[in-house]
Amino acid sequence: MLAYILRRLAAIPFLLLGVASISFLLSQTTKGDPLAALVPERMMSNPEIVEAVRAQWGLDQPLPVRYVIYLGNLVQGDLGTSFTTRRPVATDIAERLPATLELVICAMILGTIMGLTLGLLSARFRGSVFDGTARIFALIGSSLPIFWSGLILLYLLSVRVSIVPGTGRLPPRVTPPPDVTGFYTVDALLAGDLALFGQALAHLALPAFVLGWAVTGIITRLTRSSLIEGLSQDWARTARAKGAPERVVLINHALRNALIPVLTVLGFTFAYLITGAVLTEAIFAWPGIGSYAVRAAASLDYPAIGGVTIVGSMAFLVANLLTDIAYAWANPRIRVHS
Amino acid sequence: MNTPIRTGLAALLLGAASFVSPAAAQDSDTLVIARSMDVNSLDPSRAFCDTCQFYLTAVYETLVTLDADNQTLVPNLASEWEVNDDFTEFTFMLKDATFADGSPVEASDVVWTFERLKNLKGSPSFLMDGLTSAEAVDAKTVKFTVDAPNSEFLNKVSAPYAGIINAEVAQANGAIGDETAAEADKAEPWFLANSAGSGPFQLSAYSPENELRLSRNDQYWGEAPAFAEVVVTQITDAVSQLQALETGQVDIAMQIDPDTAQSSRSPDVTTEVVPSYNFVYVGFIPGAKGMAEVLTPEVRQALALAIDYDGMLDFTVGGNGKKIAAPIPNGFPGTAGLTPRSQDVEKAKQMLADAGQENLSLVAGYPNDNIYGVDFNIMMQKVQQDWAAIGVNLELKPLTWAVWRDELAAGEWPVTAVYYAPDYYGSGQYVAYFGMIDGYPWTNRASVGQPDLVVNPAEADLYAQALAASGDEADALYTQLGEEMMKDTIIVPLVSPDLVLAYRSDIEGVRYSACCNLPLAEISRK
Repeated sequence: MLAYILRRLAAIPFLLLGVASISFLLSQTTKGDPLAALVPERMMSNPEIVEAVRAQWGLDQPLPVRYVIYLGNLVQGDLGTSFTTRRPVATDIAERLPATLELVICAMILGTIMGLTLGLLSARFRGSVFDGTARIFALIGSSLPIFWSGLILLYLLSVRVSIVPGTGRLPPRVTPPPDVTGFYTVDALLAGDLALFGQALAHLALPAFVLGWAVTGIITRLTRSSLIEGLSQDWARTARAKGAPERVVLINHALRNALIPVLTVLGFTFAYLITGAVLTEAIFAWPGIGSYAVRAAASLDYPAIGGVTIVGSMAFLVANLLTDIAYAWANPRIRVHS
Repeated sequence: MNTPIRTGLAALLLGAASFVSPAAAQDSDTLVIARSMDVNSLDPSRAFCDTCQFYLTAVYETLVTLDADNQTLVPNLASEWEVNDDFTEFTFMLKDATFADGSPVEASDVVWTFERLKNLKGSPSFLMDGLTSAEAVDAKTVKFTVDAPNSEFLNKVSAPYAGIINAEVAQANGAIGDETAAEADKAEPWFLANSAGSGPFQLSAYSPENELRLSRNDQYWGEAPAFAEVVVTQITDAVSQLQALETGQVDIAMQIDPDTAQSSRSPDVTTEVVPSYNFVYVGFIPGAKGMAEVLTPEVRQALALAIDYDGMLDFTVGGNGKKIAAPIPNGFPGTAGLTPRSQDVEKAKQMLADAGQENLSLVAGYPNDNIYGVDFNIMMQKVQQDWAAIGVNLELKPLTWAVWRDELAAGEWPVTAVYYAPDYYGSGQYVAYFGMIDGYPWTNRASVGQPDLVVNPAEADLYAQALAASGDEADALYTQLGEEMMKDTIIVPLVSPDLVLAYRSDIEGVRYSACCNLPLAEISRK
């Protein structure tokens, strides 16, 4: 198993290099003016300014030369300078990724716990009022557009009844904790500032719930259907015939089997949300990597597109690896032969 | 429950409660502003954006600035100035001002700043077009010479991008002012984290598309601003900005449209609708592929006549805006004598028939965006509907900015829509941008390499005369220029949207400035 994991880890840099090359070529050959983020619209007809900027950012070089320079910089860990923020892309990502990770991890934990619990109880009490209610809750979570549920919940809970704070990671008047992990909740605790921790947690709660609700919807439905299918299998009947109580059949036998598809979805969803939590980030003014990615793509910010692609690819590769490892844990029949 | 856990829980609850309490904002020495930031740089000589306008105004000071009437130039760093009779030499006498590091603002700083602004070939470099010499006469006197009469030079130096930089500090951090600046200047990253101005505030932190923090300049030579700190926090959409305002999370929301403002029920929020100098327009491109023989002046005039301008106001901004005649904002020099266009469908049909274009089909490529509260899709749907009434079929093509710019330069379609906001108070900037004068920006765009299609020789002459005149004489010339631009019918302004000033009721001093957007130093808490 260890050799298998090491082999998978060793392949990651090569895969990332391939992804970065494809991303570079696709973005550079996409229709659009790459100076959109560098030269304001009103100056685009000024040839002197346009040429100066083109030269400054190396856009006057032929594509193959730009590609070689890009790869050369990349292997040295230099992702380039963003056309839009005018800062190193690595700095931008290092600043924004923790915000996204903090949000996504909380949303995933919340969504998974709620989804598994509701799915399990729905399967156990199939056809009951609880089952119906849980399924409706799940359906709403996975069907409601986040821009709607987010805005409505923000309006109700923050504006109307003031039980949660507004947007952002902290109140704007508050100075963030010293940067250690980039997770404000963790950094506040490390700084020993429990009041700040409370504020960071309060700000995290609603966006994590909104994002987690969508995850809950998927996990609930998947868990419920997998469990119901499992509970009608021969092995479940055998367990019951041998005198196992229904709770044991459900948790010790059926749930473990049902976890395989759930793990697949969890792995994929986590990786997707790293760059895909755009709407949640926009509504809750959460300065994460998703909104950075969208802005980079819309403005043809080549270096930022490359950087975000690498982060997104990394998330998928690592999530896939962790999912595969979790498979083996969840189901001993899955064997890895190194 | 043991003591540490109990203490932790209490602190947690206190933390959350202290946030949601509206009292948190009322005593605060920090002004919080919600805005979707469009910062492209924080270097005064490179920046060019609406957010940059008020940031630069707060941190860097110009020689002269615009008074609250949005028309009169008043002293800022310069105590007085002299202009020669033909508007080619401008001499400024400086006040005893200091930069944030305590060093005096001297003529050499002004000369270096203006030379760098010119040589950097950055977005606002056009402000120094025609500058032939900048000379420090003595430590407190600076003289500029331009190559042709320019009665708008004073207005240009009131633009926030012409804010004076502490030359010594900037040079120590990679800034270069001489002719090599475009290639050799490396100071932009430094300006993203630091500032070197003489304004009432200085930059304390900047996180792109997240937060911009300013702190009071304790060395400020003038009247100290009321707030110790200003935080501009990124909130992108109008509804979220209003929610943040209602909860007291922010003190000012800068981009609330009139419709959203009307939905506010909070007694703690004040909204004022004021006229702006921004406008949105339709632009014709006769040089677009296959359009040279089609989009003639007569056809363009027919299309302009077909637009329902009153309906456009209701359709796009719910009536919260003004009609505008020429591509010069209402209230700017020369606009008093101009009459906005009005709809005449029958005449438009007749003109199209006379031109043999009864079954015209056109494509409009435009940015898929919402600018100054105007949704460009809605605006262009209205144009589509109006033109359908005269038998013209308009295909709409909303595009990302990058693709729009690419296709615009290539002349892919004959109709577009854009917007404009002033950089300073003065009508010359509009002629320099929209005038059909050979080599000028919109001449190049509209002609796509065929200037004879659009150039209006009268405008170059009138513009030169306007720059050599002042007062009523200049106003009359700008009126003529406005009329000529209306005759060109390349730029058809549709709406000048009103601006919503939305702020907490305990805030005062919020106003809209034509040069500087939102003067932060004038704002205080009651």
